[in-house]
Amino acid sequence: MKTSTPVRLPSKLSPHSKTAPGAQGIWNGTISFSLVAIPVQLVKAVDSGRISFHLLHNKDYSPLQRRMFCPKEEKIVPPDEIVRGYETGPDKYIVITDEELASVSPERSRTIEIIEFIDMKEVDPVYFDHPYYLVPAKGGEKAYRLLTEVMRRTNRAGLAKFVLGEREYLVAVYSSEGALALITLHYSEEILPDEDISPKEEKIESAEKTHIEKNIRKLMADFDPDKYADRRRKKIIDLLKKKLKEIPPVEAPHVEEEAGEGPADLLEALKESMLKVKKNR
Amino acid sequence: MAGKAIWKGYINFGDVNLPVKLHTAVREDRIQFHLLHRRDHIKLHQQMICAYEKEPVPAEAQVKGFEVEKGKYIVVDPSEIEQADSESTRLIEVHDFVKTGQIDPIFLERVYYLEPDTNVKGYNALAGALKEMNIAGVCTWAMRKRYYLGAMQASGKILRLTTLRYADEVISAGSLEMEDIPLSEKELKIGSDLINQLTVPFQPHKFENEHQKKLHLLIEKKARGEKIAVLRPRQLKPTASDKLLQALEASLKRVA
Repeated sequence: MKTSTPVRLPSKLSPHSKTAPGAQGIWNGTISFSLVAIPVQLVKAVDSGRISFHLLHNKDYSPLQRRMFCPKEEKIVPPDEIVRGYETGPDKYIVITDEELASVSPERSRTIEIIEFIDMKEVDPVYFDHPYYLVPAKGGEKAYRLLTEVMRRTNRAGLAKFVLGEREYLVAVYSSEGALALITLHYSEEILPDEDISPKEEKIESAEKTHIEKNIRKLMADFDPDKYADRRRKKIIDLLKKKLKEIPPVEAPHVEEEAGEGPADLLEALKESMLKVKKNR
Repeated sequence: MAGKAIWKGYINFGDVNLPVKLHTAVREDRIQFHLLHRRDHIKLHQQMICAYEKEPVPAEAQVKGFEVEKGKYIVVDPSEIEQADSESTRLIEVHDFVKTGQIDPIFLERVYYLEPDTNVKGYNALAGALKEMNIAGVCTWAMRKRYYLGAMQASGKILRLTTLRYADEVISAGSLEMEDIPLSEKELKIGSDLINQLTVPFQPHKFENEHQKKLHLLIEKKARGEKIAVLRPRQLKPTASDKLLQALEASLKRVA
């Protein structure tokens, strides 16, 4: 009888494991304020794919890969044969190259230029979109440290615009525990007005308010995000743990790593935007 | 106008029970591109390809697997995952009230406006109390099969509900372990002066998505068959650490 090696529970299934900050940068460039330029790398601040499932082929349990497919030729199209098109009519497209895209705002595609500083408290949270961190690249450590420390002391955030792929982002950069955090902001035209749903009658009745305040006071506490876990995720973790004990995991056939796939930037970008679309639904 | 109501529920804590409707607060307007085949401009579709057979796999032949170690998966049936889905209770349960400033912006995810539904008096009183005390209600609710964590806050006359990321989704700044490089008092002083000089009130309306407008112009130009001048992005030269003080002084001179 073959003794099967016990399967170790991956750290991903432990409820309190935190992924090490993304070693892989999303973007490399410079952050500047006035005459100071700091080489930096943009890294993620959120890792939501904790319990992420892979799609597998039911026949051989080989993982599936997202690829672009030409419906006319019925074949997979490699990245170097893919171009970006803007639809002007049915089946009519204007092709825009990467170089042309980069030419739209050439000064902003490599530099996060802080144009002004603000008090972060003035920013209505409705503007916040997605958080990231900036980490210093080689040679930028000291200037990075200075900007972080000075923003901490003055309690200020820097406002900047920069271009990543097909979009231009308005961002707020602020100091957080010795690092620079960057939050992309929505443009004001993207914020929907709320007047139409505001209460028509504005009077606050003091008896009603006193009653509510009494209830509130019983629940005053410090914000402790660790107190709340996603119950759905917990149930899925329990399910996976149970299944792992009952049946051995399936094994995918070995596949040589594909070489020469070339830069998959476009595909990555597409994947990102698809995720975004899904999230926004 | 606010987005249309997407969900109805009851804010609940102690003996307070207030019916509200959720409305989306943000609508993104982004230019859309398609991916095309270079030679004939046929629009490409995304397909799932079997890494082993290199063939497209139809949806009915796809299964979900959780990777326990490289190449090894626990296969999970959709019906098993469904059991983890929440049952909608229509309750937005407030667990704690916390000082607004204690919630790091990194936790904030999506904002919804809350519209009062029937009990306007109670709604106004709650909004008034939250505003006066400068607090947020930390709450949970189940909507569209998911459990949400959120912060309920007052903004003007309106209550808002912002979904919060769960603690294990957020990478803390502390975990980046930044190096503590010594700085001179002079560098810090000039740096602070410079930032103070460059500080203005936050005026979001003055920022437009110029890039999107320029991108539309570029597309129009190309549609007319005009040639597009390709400009190279410029990379700034990093400020060397022994030139930092000099750069700060020169910057301050420029703005003062």
